Amino acid sequence: MTWTCEQTEARLSDYLDGVMSREEGAAFDVHVNGCERCAPMVASVSHLLSDMHAMEQIEPPARLVYAILDQTLGPRDALSGWRAVLAWLRGIGSVRFAYGAVSMVATLAIFVTAAGFNWRKPRLADLRPDVIYRNADRQAHLVYAKGTKFVNDLRVVNEIQSRLRQDSEIPSSNQSTVPQSSPDKHPGSTESTPSAPKQQNRANDVMKRLEVLAEEMPFLVAPWMVGGEAGPRRMP
Amino acid sequence: MEQDAQLVQQCLQGDGSAWEELVRRHSRRIFNICYRFTGNGTEAEDLSQDVFLRVYRTLGSYRSAHGGFATWVTSVTRNLLIDHYRRTKRDRQTDSLDDAMPVVENKESAGRRPDEQLLLGELSSQVQSALKKLSPELREAVILRDLQQLEYMEIQQVLAVPEGTVKSRINRGRIELARILQQMGVGPS
Repeated sequence: MTWTCEQTEARLSDYLDGVMSREEGAAFDVHVNGCERCAPMVASVSHLLSDMHAMEQIEPPARLVYAILDQTLGPRDALSGWRAVLAWLRGIGSVRFAYGAVSMVATLAIFVTAAGFNWRKPRLADLRPDVIYRNADRQAHLVYAKGTKFVNDLRVVNEIQSRLRQDSEIPSSNQSTVPQSSPDKHPGSTESTPSAPKQQNRANDVMKRLEVLAEEMPFLVAPWMVGGEAGPRRMP
Repeated sequence: MEQDAQLVQQCLQGDGSAWEELVRRHSRRIFNICYRFTGNGTEAEDLSQDVFLRVYRTLGSYRSAHGGFATWVTSVTRNLLIDHYRRTKRDRQTDSLDDAMPVVENKESAGRRPDEQLLLGELSSQVQSALKKLSPELREAVILRDLQQLEYMEIQQVLAVPEGTVKSRINRGRIELARILQQMGVGPS
């Protein structure tokens, strides 16, 4: 099929819109590839189309809709009396307003609670600024003290658990090794391997402390540690 | 489309909120057609108001069986734009000042990088300038097809010309627009 420059120009949109038959499309391609006049034209129109498709819609001025409505329906009357109240109430009923109101109330409740306000026995005096400040200060110190105590308790529990582990490992290691005739003692060192009664005393002491801790903070101490249940499984 | 026809029926029964809904649904598109045709924000705003005023007055003559409401409103817009073009032809010949009011481009381009947005804005203004140099027949055909993405059949209804004429105008309009842009130094790199 022979193809001319005139045909290229006349059928360019068909080609770009993809509505040309396969034979015509092939002839079009062959001609354009070998034509110095048509090739730049096809490239520039193709480029223009992709550019125009990328162009976005322009945002009209916000007043346009109101201007049209004023011209067609007439200027809107200002609401008065009970109609104004109804319109106001309708606004309150919107989801956006409800969401904002709930968020505000929740934030306020958090602040008031943090300031030490007692919801069970509410008193007007508790809402005085100086009382709120004093309560907030007290609450902050209390939270700090509780936090510090909690961290210290965790440290104690950790220490106890590590000592218990050490105590449970010592007898097994003693069994596995050949007994020595005399303990290693470094010259000038006062440390010595604890004797069996001493170990027993310390274990008893640790157990007592664990029991007390288990009563105060049961979530920190496993029942097997204080002999409540069977111990954890161990590797054979 | 069905919803538009329903809203039109409600409007004809005196429902103001239905008319408001129609205006909200179509005002942006009509403003865009007017802006692309005139290249002037103030004129596009005034023309959009005129379009809806005419649509409001002649709403009773709309028949959904003859086509969609959007196509009908576009036809009214096109007729007003041609009238406006003829009316202001003499003014344009004497007025050499380019008093086009800058229009805020759509901010829906979320996700685009600032340099892409800038490039797109520049491109838009270049195409807009080139469009103004096209004859009104070719300009309206290109705007409806390539900027408003209307189908050939819809353009045929809007322009009230045969399909062959629509295709020919779109084709000539594209080639002419590309040539103008090339003369402006804008083209494929």
